[in-house]
Amino acid sequence: MSRFRALAAVLLAGALLAGCSTFSEQGRDEYRRAQGKAAEPSLGVTEAPAEATKPDLPYDVRPLLQPSKKYLGVAAVGAPASMKNVDAFAKAAGKKPNLVEFYSAWGDQYETAAVRNAWNYKALPFIAWEPYDKTLKQIASGSQDAYIRDYARSVKELNLPVAISFAHEMNGFWYVWGTKKATAAQFVAAYRHVHDLFDQEGATQVIWVWSPNVINPAPNVRLKPYWPGEEYVDWVGVIGYFARYGPSTYRTLYGPTASQIRAFTKKPMIIAETAAEAGERKPADITNLFQGLAAHNDVIGFVWFDIDKEADWRITSGPASARTFREQAADPRFGFDVTTP
Amino acid sequence: MSSRQPPPQQPTWADRDYQQQYQEYQQESYGQDSYAWPPQQQTYPPYYETYDPYAEAPPETPVRAPEPEPAPEPEPEADPGYTLPAVPESSWAVDNRRGKLLGRGVLGCLLLVQAGLSLRLRGTAFEDEALYVASGHYELNNLLHGTKLPVDFAAYFSGHPKLYPVLAAAVDSYFGLTGVRVVSLLFMLAATGLLYAVTRRLFNLRAAIGAAALFSVLQSTTVLGNFATYDAAAIFLLALSMYAVVRTDRMRSAAVLLAAPPAALAFGVKYASGLYLPTLVLLAVVTAHRHRGVKALGRGVFLGAGIGALLAAGYVLSGPLGGISSTTTNRAKGADSAMTLLERSAEWGGLVFVAAIFGSVAYTLRGRMGEMPWIEGATAGRVRRAALGLVLTGTALLAPAYQIHLQTGVSLHKHVGFGLLFAAPMAGLGMARLVGPHFRHPQLGILVYVLALVFGMVQAQRVYSFPDAAPMVSYLRTVVHVDKKGSYLAEEQEVPAYYLRDVTGWNQWQSTYYMDYQGKDGKQLTGPDAFEQAVRDGRFDVIVMHGAVTPATYEAVKKGLEGNTHYRLAAVFPYMTSNGENAYRIWVKR
Repeated sequence: MSRFRALAAVLLAGALLAGCSTFSEQGRDEYRRAQGKAAEPSLGVTEAPAEATKPDLPYDVRPLLQPSKKYLGVAAVGAPASMKNVDAFAKAAGKKPNLVEFYSAWGDQYETAAVRNAWNYKALPFIAWEPYDKTLKQIASGSQDAYIRDYARSVKELNLPVAISFAHEMNGFWYVWGTKKATAAQFVAAYRHVHDLFDQEGATQVIWVWSPNVINPAPNVRLKPYWPGEEYVDWVGVIGYFARYGPSTYRTLYGPTASQIRAFTKKPMIIAETAAEAGERKPADITNLFQGLAAHNDVIGFVWFDIDKEADWRITSGPASARTFREQAADPRFGFDVTTP
Repeated sequence: MSSRQPPPQQPTWADRDYQQQYQEYQQESYGQDSYAWPPQQQTYPPYYETYDPYAEAPPETPVRAPEPEPAPEPEPEADPGYTLPAVPESSWAVDNRRGKLLGRGVLGCLLLVQAGLSLRLRGTAFEDEALYVASGHYELNNLLHGTKLPVDFAAYFSGHPKLYPVLAAAVDSYFGLTGVRVVSLLFMLAATGLLYAVTRRLFNLRAAIGAAALFSVLQSTTVLGNFATYDAAAIFLLALSMYAVVRTDRMRSAAVLLAAPPAALAFGVKYASGLYLPTLVLLAVVTAHRHRGVKALGRGVFLGAGIGALLAAGYVLSGPLGGISSTTTNRAKGADSAMTLLERSAEWGGLVFVAAIFGSVAYTLRGRMGEMPWIEGATAGRVRRAALGLVLTGTALLAPAYQIHLQTGVSLHKHVGFGLLFAAPMAGLGMARLVGPHFRHPQLGILVYVLALVFGMVQAQRVYSFPDAAPMVSYLRTVVHVDKKGSYLAEEQEVPAYYLRDVTGWNQWQSTYYMDYQGKDGKQLTGPDAFEQAVRDGRFDVIVMHGAVTPATYEAVKKGLEGNTHYRLAAVFPYMTSNGENAYRIWVKR
């Protein structure tokens, strides 16, 4: 009797020794993970929902990067949360825009409803992400990572293509992330950091837009130091308006900037914001824009700032402007279905 | 008893009668410990009636019972309608027909549990599975249609590429990977069944149930039963060979040659099985029950020569097999410490090993449990019993010892199972002895089984954990060229190469282990530098990495992607394994 007990005790001891690693804390974590769950559930790590296991392939944005036709984009008040003004623009322009730009302040959630609206309208959503209340240095340092990751996860989850320009017009002095408050190195660090976090989260649906202002207002600021690198940029999104007092042709407005940029990259260029100030010259400016775009194969389109802000930039500011725009936009090279590029 | 003891004090006058009675009784009694009553008491009035020799005898009571009337001679019966068969000595300790049936029923239940444990594991193809099944398709085409092989699989496989892979591919063509895994399950179930038969013949039914029970819930058994590699086939063939060795133990020595073909085939299927061929030869010697001393060696010589001849013939037929040395005998040394490997081996097989040691010791001490001592049968002598225990239990140490020698933990979780197949009969006997004669301690047997089950289940779940390749593969399907052109760099490239073999060729997939590359400047590069430069030059159409298998290559690729205009990150598919969270990252040409 005692012999058996002793042996059983030896066996048990052996089993417990073996159990030390099998049922240790690490062992339990490994077991949980092998079942596809987070190692430590009590830390508030959300477990992947069941439907996440079915293969949901990320949207392949590559066909949108360099389409054979050109984007005809618009930025309108309230769009794309409400498509009312976009519809009005389409009516005036005689053609549906296939890109809708809107602005997102730092700290805002990814506006999935707006993005979905735009996409349902068969327009590529384009977000200008403006870091108003956090400095570029703070963003680069990693203090904003939780927010950025959350944003990236939303982008990934929605799985619709979106163009994002981070801290646009960084080479100007007027924004808080501009030349007066931040350096080129800080911009590059912040831009890369945001991009890296998106990559880590697997938000590959983003078309990354590096968006300087035309160099005319700040000719002494070189663009090259602001360049984050080839692998960080999909589009060069130049911003430049036909203002009443300023360059009045496509060549003089965009030429100097383009030649500086073309010295260091061949990435496709898009006019990320433009418009012509209301006035006598406006129809000519519009014609100039369309003709200039048509002549440049490396420029893949433009976004018309169709808002009455500081000046009336809308195409409907005068009947001649609207008519000219409609005539020019009728060119089949402008506009295409972004859902089947 | 107290009535038999003399009174402790001097009897008083009141006790005198009793005293006298007692003395009378003592004279008639047959001794204190005798349970047999004097025969004459059967004819006297029942003994429990107080016998008073001084009492007046009733007049009609005869002093001696009259002789009973002699019974009349029974008349010789005419032909009986039936005859009672001789009643055999029977109990649960003896293998009779009922026991056999019962044992098979229990075995059936154990096999059901084993199948359930294996089938609950799920996952897409593991690298090795993909490699063997995919290579099998190429080998099959080579056999059937003479299609040229994309690479010489024999040069680096750890088993013959024309054996298991071909079978796997044939099954895969009809039933897919699940079908191939089910074949593995059948192999493992058959191995358990053979183990049961072997143990029953070596010892008895109870040991057989114990052996099957312990082996069927091991981590290695569970995992290999749902794993499309040649391990399950090799274990089955070794079990078959072991069965043939034990089954022919009372036949002529030459009969053991029946064990040679499966043993040789096991070696062909997986070269590492060679480690266990000496065990089979020794087992043949130890179980040579018809012979003693030097003559017993005859069986071993027969088996060894038989296996050797078959292997030599096979080698001549199959041509050069570089894989034997590169994967098995001369494998690259790892960096795992002996302590780690021992710890892991103990974790995966310690319980069964301890039970086997107990069984060996108990068997050496006593050949039978002594439940029914009057049943005598030939048991092997003590030396032979000890040798059997030593050979079988010691085999469990072979794989860990060899891998400690190589300092690598690769596949150890599978290889421990090979040795435990041989140790399992002793462990089963140990379990039967632990339960004891007449099932005195069933709780101990249940305890051991339940412990083995719990450890096996948990460990299998942890070991059987590899990346979920499904989303990665479905994405790749959208980006690979359909015209069998293009070059793809992929970590564990066998997995996409297997799943996408309808649209891509084997050699379009570049492995991340090794690469030679000539840069555009004509410089010959190798190792991580080759990967870095090739990525920088945009040599690949698609790059798939996760960094868990070849971290050095992953770092090189990341360096190559810096400032790279060729590629764009196209997809990230996170996955979870027991090692933690990770993700497939896929870059495509812009």
